[in-house]
Amino acid sequence: MIALKIAFRNISRQKKRSFLLAGAIAFGMLVITLLNALSGGVVENIRVNFSHALGGHIFIMGREFSGEGRMIHKIRPDQRLDQLLDENAASIRGFSKRSQAVPSLIFGSKQTMHLLYGVDFEEEDQLLESLAVTAGSLSGVSREGNALILPKPVGERLGVEPGETVLVKLETLSGQQNVGEFKVKAFIEDQEQFGLSAAYANRSYLNDLLGIGSQEYQMLNMFVADLSRLDDLTRVFREGLKSPEELEESKFEELEEEEALLEVSVGGVPLDPMMGGEEIKPWEGTRYQVMSLNQIMEPVELMVGVLNQVGLVIFLILLSVTMVGITNTFRMIMIERIREIGTMRAFGMQRREIKRIFLLEAFFLGLLGSAGGILLTALLAFILSKIRFGADPALQFFLRQGQITFSFSAASILINTALVLVISLIAAYWPARASAKLPPVEALSSHT
Amino acid sequence: MAIVELEKVTRVYTLGKAEVHALRGVTFAIEKGDFATIIGPSGSGKSTILNLIGCIDQPTEGKVIINGKPTQGLTDKVLTTLRHETLGFIFQSFNLIPVLNVYENIEFPLLLGRNKMSKKETKEWIEYLVESVGLIERLDHKSNELSGGQRQRVAVARALVTRPEIVLADEPTGNLDSKTGQSIIELMKKMNADLNTTFIFSTHDATIMDIADHVIRLLDGLVVENSKNRVRAGGLS
Repeated sequence: MIALKIAFRNISRQKKRSFLLAGAIAFGMLVITLLNALSGGVVENIRVNFSHALGGHIFIMGREFSGEGRMIHKIRPDQRLDQLLDENAASIRGFSKRSQAVPSLIFGSKQTMHLLYGVDFEEEDQLLESLAVTAGSLSGVSREGNALILPKPVGERLGVEPGETVLVKLETLSGQQNVGEFKVKAFIEDQEQFGLSAAYANRSYLNDLLGIGSQEYQMLNMFVADLSRLDDLTRVFREGLKSPEELEESKFEELEEEEALLEVSVGGVPLDPMMGGEEIKPWEGTRYQVMSLNQIMEPVELMVGVLNQVGLVIFLILLSVTMVGITNTFRMIMIERIREIGTMRAFGMQRREIKRIFLLEAFFLGLLGSAGGILLTALLAFILSKIRFGADPALQFFLRQGQITFSFSAASILINTALVLVISLIAAYWPARASAKLPPVEALSSHT
Repeated sequence: MAIVELEKVTRVYTLGKAEVHALRGVTFAIEKGDFATIIGPSGSGKSTILNLIGCIDQPTEGKVIINGKPTQGLTDKVLTTLRHETLGFIFQSFNLIPVLNVYENIEFPLLLGRNKMSKKETKEWIEYLVESVGLIERLDHKSNELSGGQRQRVAVARALVTRPEIVLADEPTGNLDSKTGQSIIELMKKMNADLNTTFIFSTHDATIMDIADHVIRLLDGLVVENSKNRVRAGGLS
């Protein structure tokens, strides 16, 4: 107890020195905590932005072979799928069945290519609510078969106005060119901040142009109610949608997943997974690819993990430098307090108690530095999170509504604090041991 | 009954290649309750003797017996416990712990081992000591807020707080003016009489040594005078 009291009060003996040492520790703590919180925030933001951009957390795509042996991407009405959706309704916050294409939009002499989603506006009423209309109106959009909702910059590029008609040129699933007319219903705020800018049309009309049935679609996207169950639910759908043949071919599954990951990571348009690779043996019926946001996030998380490791290395270098500082300081402290050590020993303080005073002092210093670092980080994070970074699309994907967000992890703060404390104790150990071993007669006869 | 006995004690220090014979076969005994002084010029071996009696140093040869127990061969832990239970120290430079206030400095030795007193008894005992040394108004002061004389009074109270059988004081008046030094010696004498604690102090001040009832005079590491019962119940003139 007395060792605790003396150690605690010793911290304030040389205020400037303690401040500098604790400040160095605090700086290290600031760097690592801020970096961890920033990377955590970035991962969260990318996750949210991805889910918005891709329209869900779980993505199901269907593949089948046409009569000509061409692989096409579509999902037919399927009892297995409907049953799975029903069985897991409680875990699903919402889902959408979409078709998609990247057609050429033509108006007069102007032409541009843009991602076009075919949606069932009656099913996806929340989508209409989330779109910010800048011109025109969304009312009655589900009733007008060829209605088209365009991002404002696309409309401006084409020079078209709401109410006017644009030509849409695309390739059907069977590989033929097709052209349709769409009536621009409204302009919306570009959703490029979510990483993907898309136009919207009625699914049945787009399906007609793509050459697929009105009840068919190309992608089923689901938002789950609890993200912590995302992997479980993905597994349920993946297993539930496997055909008997696929179950036998499960050894190829991993390969397909990797390909699927590659497919989504390059944009919304499905690519032939075996493009440029070995030939696939055609199969009967539809085979499904089920992917989750977590799979898409894996490379991002890997990158963030590397970033965190770099941060940890910087932190350890800073701590090592501080450790040298602490060791030297405690050597100095030992010399300064040598008579005090002798006095305490003379009065009956055991060696281990002398050592304990030094170690406790280092512990308090580490604790003070860590607490200071965490407070500084919180302050800095608060200030940084108030800054708006404009609408640079390159940045938007990492931000939430144009602002940096920080995600503090109690576990990583505790681990870093423990690391600081251990390093402080190691740094002070040798001077503490030397102080404890000092013969009292030498300590008392010292003239320092 | 002898509380401290030194038998043919020598202490040789090695300084580089040279050997310094601080003590050359010193033998004497101090009785319980004595107010003993060790006098002699600088370098005569006064501090070395106090260090040996205080168990913070070991003799090169000979025996140091404290309260009937020889100290040679004891481990550091046992010696530390012996110091805590049997000895109190007063230093020339006071050696108060700067981060503790007057009360805490006095209490400090009690916190290093088993304290048989209750909290209330401890508080009363410390307050009695503080009152005895005349610092009751300064309980909360840190050592840097006290004069030299006041610091040494705190040191006297601290040395007595564990009710040691022996208090060792190495030049307790060395850093004080003569008047303050005299009052410290008077205080030590008073405590010696009140608590029957054996005091052994070193000095080279001839006027102060007159108060002692046992004088050991040293010269070049040898005892040249060992006289007892000079002024048993006396005081400073």
